[in-house]
Amino acid sequence: MKGDGAMGPNRSKALLEREPRFDDMAVSLLAMPRLPKAMVKETKQAVELARRFNDTVVRPYALELDRKKHEDPDFLPWEFVEEANRWGLYTLCIPTLFGGQGVNFPALSYVLEELGSACTGMSNLVGVHYLGVATLCASWNMRLMNKVMRDTAEGEKTGEPCLISLAITEPGAGTDVEEVDLVSKAQVACQAKKVKGGYVVNGRKIFISNGHLSYWHMLVCYEDLKNPQDTVIMLAIHNGMKGFSFGRQERKMGQKGCPASELIFEDCFVPDDLVCINPAQGKKLKRSMKETHMQVIDYIVAASRAGVGAFGVGVARGAYEEALRFAGETEVDGKLLINHEWAQCMLAEMYKNVAVGRLTYEEANYANDLLGMFKVLEWKPIFYYLKYMPKPIMDKVIQPFLNLGAVTWLFRKIYFDWQKETDYQCSSGWGSLSKFTATDIGVKNGQLALEMMGRAGLRHDRGAEKHLRDSKLLQIYEGTNQLNRLNLFKCLIGRDVPGARVFEE
Amino acid sequence: MKIAQDAEMRMLDQMAADFAAKELVEAREDHDRYPFLPLFEDVLAKAHEVGFFTLLLPEAAGGGEQGISALSLILDDICRSDASLGGIIFTTALAHEMILKAKSEALLPPVASGDHSYREALIACPSFDNPGEAGNLLQAKGKGKKHMLSGSIEYVVLAGLCGRALLPAKVEGDESYSLFLVDLTSPGVEVSEPVFSLGLHACPACDLELKGVEATLVGRQGEGRAYFDAAVDKMFLAAAAMATGIMKGSFTEAFEYSLQRHQGGWEIINWSEVRMLLASLAIKCKVADMLLSEACRAAEADEAGWGLGARAAAIHVQELACDATTDGIQLLGGNGYMEDYGQEKRFRDAKQIQSLLGLTPMKRLDYIRRIREGEKPW
Ligand SMILES: Cc1cc2nc3c(=O)[nH]c(=O)nc-3n(C[C@H](O)[C@H](O)[C@H](O)COP(=O)(O)OP(=O)(O)OC[C@H]3O[C@@H](n4cnc5c(N)ncnc54)[C@H](O)[C@@H]3O)c2cc1C
Repeated sequence: MKGDGAMGPNRSKALLEREPRFDDMAVSLLAMPRLPKAMVKETKQAVELARRFNDTVVRPYALELDRKKHEDPDFLPWEFVEEANRWGLYTLCIPTLFGGQGVNFPALSYVLEELGSACTGMSNLVGVHYLGVATLCASWNMRLMNKVMRDTAEGEKTGEPCLISLAITEPGAGTDVEEVDLVSKAQVACQAKKVKGGYVVNGRKIFISNGHLSYWHMLVCYEDLKNPQDTVIMLAIHNGMKGFSFGRQERKMGQKGCPASELIFEDCFVPDDLVCINPAQGKKLKRSMKETHMQVIDYIVAASRAGVGAFGVGVARGAYEEALRFAGETEVDGKLLINHEWAQCMLAEMYKNVAVGRLTYEEANYANDLLGMFKVLEWKPIFYYLKYMPKPIMDKVIQPFLNLGAVTWLFRKIYFDWQKETDYQCSSGWGSLSKFTATDIGVKNGQLALEMMGRAGLRHDRGAEKHLRDSKLLQIYEGTNQLNRLNLFKCLIGRDVPGARVFEE
Repeated sequence: MKIAQDAEMRMLDQMAADFAAKELVEAREDHDRYPFLPLFEDVLAKAHEVGFFTLLLPEAAGGGEQGISALSLILDDICRSDASLGGIIFTTALAHEMILKAKSEALLPPVASGDHSYREALIACPSFDNPGEAGNLLQAKGKGKKHMLSGSIEYVVLAGLCGRALLPAKVEGDESYSLFLVDLTSPGVEVSEPVFSLGLHACPACDLELKGVEATLVGRQGEGRAYFDAAVDKMFLAAAAMATGIMKGSFTEAFEYSLQRHQGGWEIINWSEVRMLLASLAIKCKVADMLLSEACRAAEADEAGWGLGARAAAIHVQELACDATTDGIQLLGGNGYMEDYGQEKRFRDAKQIQSLLGLTPMKRLDYIRRIREGEKPW
C-alpha cells in the first residue's frame, strides 16, 4: 500500500493498536478467513431445523404454555423438554468429542433467535442448557466435560432429557457474583468446605433457569466466604445427591415456560471427582486465582451473552412479525394500516432493530471464534477432524484419553495460560455490547409493536403482549444491562485510560 | 399531585391514599391473578361505598359532582398501588362523561352508594377504542329511542362485571356512529370469558356478540363521535393521572429498595449509575405531576385550548410511564421481574393504559389535525 514503507512496521503496528484497536474493530474481518467453510452449511441446516421445530412444536404450544403457567405457577413443561430432546436440540452444539452432534457453537445463536421469535421462554428452555455447557467448558476440566455432556447425549438416546444448568446467583449476591472486583465485597453465603474426599456444601442459589428441569447443575460457590474472589470453586452437582433439593419456582412476569428455581444445599457432600475447578487446581495456572476466576467468568459470559443477544433479537423479531401481520390485515381510518406511511416507517425501524441486534451477536461470536471459547474447536484442522472422524473411533479410541490429566493440563495451558488479556477483553467486551444492545432492542420492539396494535396487541390470544413481557427479563439476567455497560467500559474503554477505575466509587 | 391544594382536595387525596394503602397493597398479587383467582369484589364494594364509581355524576344522579381534578387526584393515588381499580373507575367515568355530554343522565338509574351494589354503578364500554378509527362497528336498526343492535365488538371493558354497556353502533346510512345503552342480560347478547391481557387483570374486558339486541339511543342519532370527542379531552387527563400514579408507585418501590439492597459492599443507591436511573425516574414523575396539575387547572378554568393541553399531557405522560416502569423493574434486578414485587405489574399496566382511548400514533396524528384545523398549539 502507498506510504507503507515510509511509516515502517513499528509505526504501522502502533497506529493499528491505537484505540479503537483494529483487532477490536474488525473482529469478523479477522475471523472469517480462519473459519471452516462448512460452518455455513451447518448453520443453514440448524436454522432450517429451528424453523421446522417452531412450526411443529413451539408456535402451536407457546400461548397455551404461557397461560398454563399463569394458571398454575408450579407447572413444569416436561413435555416440551422431552420434545426438544427428541429433536436433538440439547446435543446439537455439543462437540462430537463428547458425544454430541458437533454443530458449531455460533450456529446456536441463530437457532435461539429463531426459537425466540416464536417464544423466548421456550428458546430459553433450550438455550440455558448451553449456558450450563459453557460454564462446564470454562473450567476446561476435560474429564468432567466428557462425563457430563455424554450424559446429555445418553439422555437423548433414552428419551430422558439430561439438561445442565448454571447456579451462581444467591439471594444476597446477583450483580456481585458476575465480577471479581465486586464479589470480594459481596454477601455470598453458599460455601463449600473441604473435607476428606470432597466438599460439603451449604447455602442457597436462586433464579436458576431450568433448575427444576435439569439433571446436572454447575454450582459456583466459595471455600472462604470472606475471601470469595480467591477461593471460588465450581462443582458438578446432579439430582439425587444427598443434601441437595429444589426450593420454590419464581413467579415471573414473562418467559413463564422456563422455570427460575431455587437450589438448596444442606450439608451436601460433593466428592472430589465432581470438582470442575478449585483453588488447588488454580494454583497450577499462570495467573492468580482471582485472575483465573475472572477469566472463567469472561469465558462463560463472552459466549452466553452473545446467546442472550440472540434471544433479544428473537423477541424483537417476534414483536415485529406480529406488528407486520396486524398491519397487513387491519383497517384504520378507512385503509389498511400497512398503507399508512407512519406505520411503514415504524415497521422499518423495527426491522432495523432486528438487523442491528443480529450484527452484534454475530460479531460477538466472531470474537469467541477468534479469541474465546470456540477458538480450538473452530480451528480448521480440529473442526474437520472432529466432523469427519467416525463416531465409533471417537467414542472408543479417543474418548478414553479425555480422562487423562494431561489433556486437561493441555487445554488449560491453551485456554488459561496462553490466552492474552486483550483476547478476553475483546470477547467479553463484545459479549456485553451484544447483550445490552440486542436486549434493549428486544424491549423497544415489544413496545413499538403494542403501540402499533393498540388494544389488539394487549390480548394474550394475539401473542404480541407476551413478547414484551418476555423481553424485559433479557435486560436483567446474565448481568443487568448496567453491569454489562460497565463490563464493556472495563474491557474496551477503561483499560487504556490512565487513572480509570471500575467498581470503585 | 400538586393540584391537591384546597382543603376538600386534600381530604380526597388523603382518603384515596388511605384506601389504596388499606385495600390494595397487601393482596395486590392475588388481585392481579384474576381470572385465575376470584375478583376483588370486596374491594369494589368498598370503592363504591366511598363513591369512586360515580365521581363525575351530578348529585341528582347520585354522583359526587366532582371535576376532573378530583378524578385525576384519586386515580393518581389508586394507581400507585393497583391500576386495575383505576381502570374500572376510568371506564365507568368515561361512560358517564359521554352520557353527560349527550345530556342523557336521565337514562342512568339511581346508583347512590349504600343502596345499590357496585355492579349497578358500573357501566361497561370499549374504553381502549376511539370508535371513529375502528373498521367494523356494530350495526343498529330502528327509529327513535329504541334500536336493535347486531354484530360483534371486541374488548368491552367491564362487560363481564356489570349489567349495562355503552356501545357505539352505526345506523345504516348514517355518516357517523351513535351511542347506545345496552342491557347485557338481554336475550341475544353473548359475553365472552374475560379476555386475558397484558395488564389491568382485575379490570377485565370481554368480547361481545349481539344478535338483534334491543338498545336505547343515547343523545341524538349519528352524534356519537361528537359526544366521544367532547368527553375525551377530560378523560385524557384521567388517563394521564393513571400513568402518573403508576410511575410514582414505581419510583417509591425502587427508591426504597435501593436503600435496602446491598451489592458491592454497600446499599445500591451508593452506585452512581443506580442514582442516575432513580433520578431519571424521579424526574419523569415530577414532570408528569406538574404537567398533569397544570392541564387539570386549565381544564377546570375552561381556558382556551385546554383540550389540546390535556391530550399532549396524556400522550407524553403515558410514554414516560412506559419507560419509567421499565427502569423501575431494572432497579430491583431479578426481584423486579417477579410478581412478589409490584414493579412488573406496573410495567404491564403502564403499557396497557397507553392504549386507552385509541391507537397512540393516531392520537398524535389527531393532535396535528386539530392544530391544522385552527386550534392554537399554545
Ligand atoms: C428469570 C431469571 C433467570 C435467571 N437465571 C439465572 C441462572 O440460570 N443462573 C444464575 O446463576 N442466575 C440467574 N439469574 C440471576 C441474574 O443473573 C441476576 O438476577 C442478575 O445478575 C442481577 O442480580 P440481582 O437480581 O441480584 O440484582 P442486584 O444485583 O441486586 O441489582 C439490583 C440493581 O442494582 C444495580 N447494581 C447492582 N450493583 C451495581 C453496581 N456495582 N453498579 C451499578 N449498578 C449496580 C443493578 O444493575 C440493578 O439495577 C436469573 C435471574 C432471573 C430474573
